[in-house]
Amino acid sequence: MTTTTGTRHRTPAPHRLSTTLLGLALPLAVLAASAAVAFSWRDDLPDPVATHWDAAGTADGFASLAASAVVPLVTGAVLTVGLWLVGWFFGQSASNRRTAVGVSAGTATFLGATLLGTLWVQRGLDDAAQASGVGAAIAVALGAGLVAGVLAGLVAPRDARRPAEGPVSPADPRAPLGADERAAWIRTARGGPGLAVAGAAVVGTLVLVVVTGLWWMIVLPVVLGLVMASMMSWTVTVDASGLEVRSVLGVPRTVVPLDEVEGAREVTVDPFREFGGWGWRAGRGGRVGIVVRKGPGLEVRRTGGRVLVVTVDDAAAGAALLTSLADRAR
Amino acid sequence: MIFRIDPTAGEPLFAQLAAQVRLAVAAGTVHPGERLPAARDLAASLDLNVHTVLRAYQDLRDEGLVDLRRGRGAVVTAQAAHDYTDLRAAIDAVVRESRALSLPPETTLALLKEALR
Repeated sequence: MTTTTGTRHRTPAPHRLSTTLLGLALPLAVLAASAAVAFSWRDDLPDPVATHWDAAGTADGFASLAASAVVPLVTGAVLTVGLWLVGWFFGQSASNRRTAVGVSAGTATFLGATLLGTLWVQRGLDDAAQASGVGAAIAVALGAGLVAGVLAGLVAPRDARRPAEGPVSPADPRAPLGADERAAWIRTARGGPGLAVAGAAVVGTLVLVVVTGLWWMIVLPVVLGLVMASMMSWTVTVDASGLEVRSVLGVPRTVVPLDEVEGAREVTVDPFREFGGWGWRAGRGGRVGIVVRKGPGLEVRRTGGRVLVVTVDDAAAGAALLTSLADRAR
Repeated sequence: MIFRIDPTAGEPLFAQLAAQVRLAVAAGTVHPGERLPAARDLAASLDLNVHTVLRAYQDLRDEGLVDLRRGRGAVVTAQAAHDYTDLRAAIDAVVRESRALSLPPETTLALLKEALR
């Protein structure tokens, strides 16, 4: 079965105020504050300031203070506005809103902190060429960005409980159940090209750490390895409590309660085309995808215009059981 | 495959589970190399004691249908992959003949059970 999903599910995204505060106002304020602090230091800074360092930590790129601040600020502002639009238009599901505000706040914090950190080490210098020790500043900025992003994502409100009012879509498959019967469908979704890409990235960054000797960069393969482990192996369960998709690490996980299921069916998924990659992602039209490979997947339509897609084998059976259990829960 | 149990049926719950895996293997809906759900997960989903599921898995292992390995769970064996094509064709023939004779399903089942004894 091949299906296309586009603009059919255009229920307006909820929580647009919080998306705007956390995903637009906060990141722009962080960027503006960083710029203000940077310019307040102008009398202590050399002119030009160092803007780039080589692998050995020696400054090798220089610019005026204004030019060195403009690049991260404009990059951050453009990214912020783009992500805010994603949250505004495609934020039907909490995971899309949280990702948008989290990435936005995290990136703005990282960019602002990097600007301030790299200028901080140049305060009081006559010549920017003497500036060094910038690795620690960038490591701190990375940490600050991660913390700010995760916090903003966590503060963003979750979806309100929203039981369906109508029946489950009669067009979707069913797996008839006896009155006293209990039933479960449990499958694993793992591997796929994303795993190979993530594995190559871990190895690549490890090699980079060894070659450059920049110890703080060990953060990259560690974070990548954790993300790979959490994003590329999932247990998908359909039972009396609804649909659960759980990472092999236990987190992240998501649950669709039976009373929020409007329909479920097997679809053909192309992760790269529909979601721009692999893992837990936001896709076209605000669909949420937990996608590890191309091929058949389970698509669940949920109240509030939310759609969840999981790439998993035997999806037709999972869809049939989910709709039948949902019928029973109505 | 969908696992079902009916607590009101006379058959023990572990036997109901094992029977479904046997049926799924014979019907070709479960393939060799495929991993059955972790006993803990399946027990939680069906609101069963984990030992009930393990008992079913152990019976299947004793029949050579699955491998039970610590950390890997229950994996359907290659040995389970008999060629069921002829059997399925024969069953189709039985169904056709029974319908042609307007035999009630219970009668056909009773005949099959008698013949298999």
